[in-house]
Amino acid sequence: MTTAAIRTSGLTKRYGHVEVLKDLDLEVTEGEVLGYLGPNGAGKTTTIRLMLGLIGPTRGRAEIFGLDSHRQTVDAHRRLTYVPGEASLWPSLTGFETLHLLGRVRGEVDLPYRDELIGRFDLDPSKKVRAYSKGNRQKVVLIAGLMARPDLLILDEPTSGLDPLMEQAFRHCIHEAKERGQTVFLSSHILSEVEALCDRVGILRAGELVDIGTLADLRHLSALTVEATFDGSVPDLTRIPGVSAVEVEGRVVRCQVAGDVEPLLKVLAFSGVHELLSREPSLEELFLSHYGAGSGDEGVPSDAH
Amino acid sequence: MLTEASGEHLLEVQSVPALANRAVEPTAPPGRFQTLAVAHATARKAVRSGVILGLVVGLYVLVQAFSYTSTYKTSAERAKLASTLTSGGLSPLVGPARQVQTVAGYTAWKCLMALTIIGAIWGLLTATKLLRGEEDSGRWELMLAGLTTRRRAALQAVLGLGAGWGALLAVASAITVAVGRASAISISAPSMLFFSLSVASSAAMFLGIGALTSQLAASRRQAAALAAAALGVSFALRMAGDSSPALGWLRWASPLGWVEELRPLTSPQPLALGLIAAFSLSLLAGSVYLAGVRDLAASVLPAKPGSRPRTALLSGPVGLAMRLTRATTLAWLVGIATMAWLLGSETKVAVKALQDSSSVQKALSRLSGTSGQAKVYLGLSFVIVALLISLLAIGHLTAARKEESSGRLDHLLVAPISRSVWLASRLLLACAVVTMAGVMAGVVAWLGTGHGHDGIGLSSMADGGLNTAPPAICLIGFGALAIGFVPRWTSLVLYGVLAWSFLVELVGGLGLTSHWLLDTSVLHHMRAAPALAPNWTSGVAMIAVALTAGALGIAAFGRRDLAGD
Repeated sequence: MTTAAIRTSGLTKRYGHVEVLKDLDLEVTEGEVLGYLGPNGAGKTTTIRLMLGLIGPTRGRAEIFGLDSHRQTVDAHRRLTYVPGEASLWPSLTGFETLHLLGRVRGEVDLPYRDELIGRFDLDPSKKVRAYSKGNRQKVVLIAGLMARPDLLILDEPTSGLDPLMEQAFRHCIHEAKERGQTVFLSSHILSEVEALCDRVGILRAGELVDIGTLADLRHLSALTVEATFDGSVPDLTRIPGVSAVEVEGRVVRCQVAGDVEPLLKVLAFSGVHELLSREPSLEELFLSHYGAGSGDEGVPSDAH
Repeated sequence: MLTEASGEHLLEVQSVPALANRAVEPTAPPGRFQTLAVAHATARKAVRSGVILGLVVGLYVLVQAFSYTSTYKTSAERAKLASTLTSGGLSPLVGPARQVQTVAGYTAWKCLMALTIIGAIWGLLTATKLLRGEEDSGRWELMLAGLTTRRRAALQAVLGLGAGWGALLAVASAITVAVGRASAISISAPSMLFFSLSVASSAAMFLGIGALTSQLAASRRQAAALAAAALGVSFALRMAGDSSPALGWLRWASPLGWVEELRPLTSPQPLALGLIAAFSLSLLAGSVYLAGVRDLAASVLPAKPGSRPRTALLSGPVGLAMRLTRATTLAWLVGIATMAWLLGSETKVAVKALQDSSSVQKALSRLSGTSGQAKVYLGLSFVIVALLISLLAIGHLTAARKEESSGRLDHLLVAPISRSVWLASRLLLACAVVTMAGVMAGVVAWLGTGHGHDGIGLSSMADGGLNTAPPAICLIGFGALAIGFVPRWTSLVLYGVLAWSFLVELVGGLGLTSHWLLDTSVLHHMRAAPALAPNWTSGVAMIAVALTAGALGIAAFGRRDLAGD
């Protein structure tokens, strides 16, 4: 059995009476790119801070390459780098000095790759952090995370503040990392980014992992979107088993079908369908289907630092 | 603030939540609260600290006034004290003693200079925090996104600072007037009000200086350093002005000297208030003007946007800490060296004045049967150096805590660096700096005496300087405990312990307290070296306490969650 890059079991974090993360069981295999989705306050950053040992679990454990992230923190950190979504850096240092410092404390840096990344991300490293825009500060932490070429990259909304060109550069870097066999844990709000980069996606809601799998798995298990245009009157589809979210607009009906589609097809076959379209849900629809109603995030404290 | 234009009330400032509400209820008229959002936000913070400072002022006056009446009960005793204190010597440090045979005169002499300096420090810290600090944090930008301009927002913030100053004046006045009504004290309410106003006037001037440096500098730290430098120069000028009648004119070159010239409780000269008010208002008006003409987050003084990389120190947490704290530490070392030099150079004058007074000689000789008067004077004066060095230690600890609360520490702790190594290295760096500062102060004071005076040797002065380090190291230990167990209270705990120690020393100096109470002061365990030989056993004990506290703090820091503000 190979060692997982990340393994959590029963990982729970409670602040006062509020459980921010509940019994998280998660495994990320080596070389995998896992997308970690969830709305604000769902517990994404808390999960990452627990994995990094910056906060301790109320119960359960998190392992990085088999090392307990709470008890063997330093050894675990030798295998990873972390890119936060909000880059709080030392304002009096220049970009280059910051990269130098973070490289030295990390221990291993691929210097030619660092210089290449500075070019790719179009960063002026001679400027002081104080003078950088939010996007440029984010570039500094991204380069710092990537330049060490670690076994595991933990990224918490890493492209916040980046323009589309830079986001493309970021995606290119993650593809490269994947080709090199590096593992990536990507927490993000940008669904297209997750869709483009990740092998599997985990969806977190109110501190609970509500779904995890490949996009194909998730789509297969989720409802199919059907759009039918009728010649004449529109039949009532709301009573058909498995059909939900029925929307009628003139002679066009849109609905979701979960499970067996046969009952719906039988009704449509005798209702004068002029045009029939069906497609698998996008990641956005999958995401929204989990949060659409009663996500229950209210009252969960922000898990930001 | 509402202004009239074309017969309509215009909304000048509206908070971000207020804008949100407006979207929901477009017809809702803005309330007075909303239009003064910046002033209100600033005032809320300024008033809180202003009330605390007002309490400190009131309590200090209460303690000093009552301890005088209980210690010097008869007219003869008071006359004797007056003859010794008015003979000079100590006036460069605490100002001239006038009418100290009266409770009013003694209270003014004992309290005015100390409270003036405390008020000035409050003023510069409050102004730089609530102006430049808010800008550095990005919160100011949110305020400016409302229906306001940079200049109007700055004006409102200045009004908020004014509210804090008003709270300070109100609380200090209420307590001092109540103290004055006590039969044993019997100082009229107008006199106490004028005294409170005198103390608060230094706070007003340094609120103005802090507001101005907030516009000149590129960061809060730089703004506070500039304002602190202004305070240092002001104190040095006042000190020089009080050291000899020939230099008396120098007092008029120093804001602290102007406060002294108000002469509250003895021979009030309210005219100097005009100068103070004009100075404060000019600075505040200037800062509002500059806030309007400079860009957000920019500085009036040119700031270099970039520089050639200097990576010599950037190899790990210790080097980073040295790099980040070196400018502030250097400023503190210059300040401490200046103070030590002044104390040293005052020695001859002070000793001459003390030799004129047999009673003071007798009182001071109890400190040491064999020490010369110069050593006694320096031994007593070095409490000030110990205080400054303790403040330097607190600065290092709060800077370490700031690394954590700002999230910057995350970058180091996700590398293969353990928390204990990081905190221990910051603590050791702080210990090294305070020890170096102590020895430096001793040596510089020795140089200030003119390479020794009255048999003062270089080694005894270096020992005297080193003697100030253990209380600061003890504070560093307490700081580690606070960081480990109550991180969000670190600053409060450290300043609280130092303020408590200083208060106990003040009260204890008058023989009013028990041995148990005195033992709670970190400063009490420091002998008045070089008047007395340093008690190294006590020093080692304090370091042992610091080591234990440090180890506990480091262990707790390793186990707890990282915590923001």
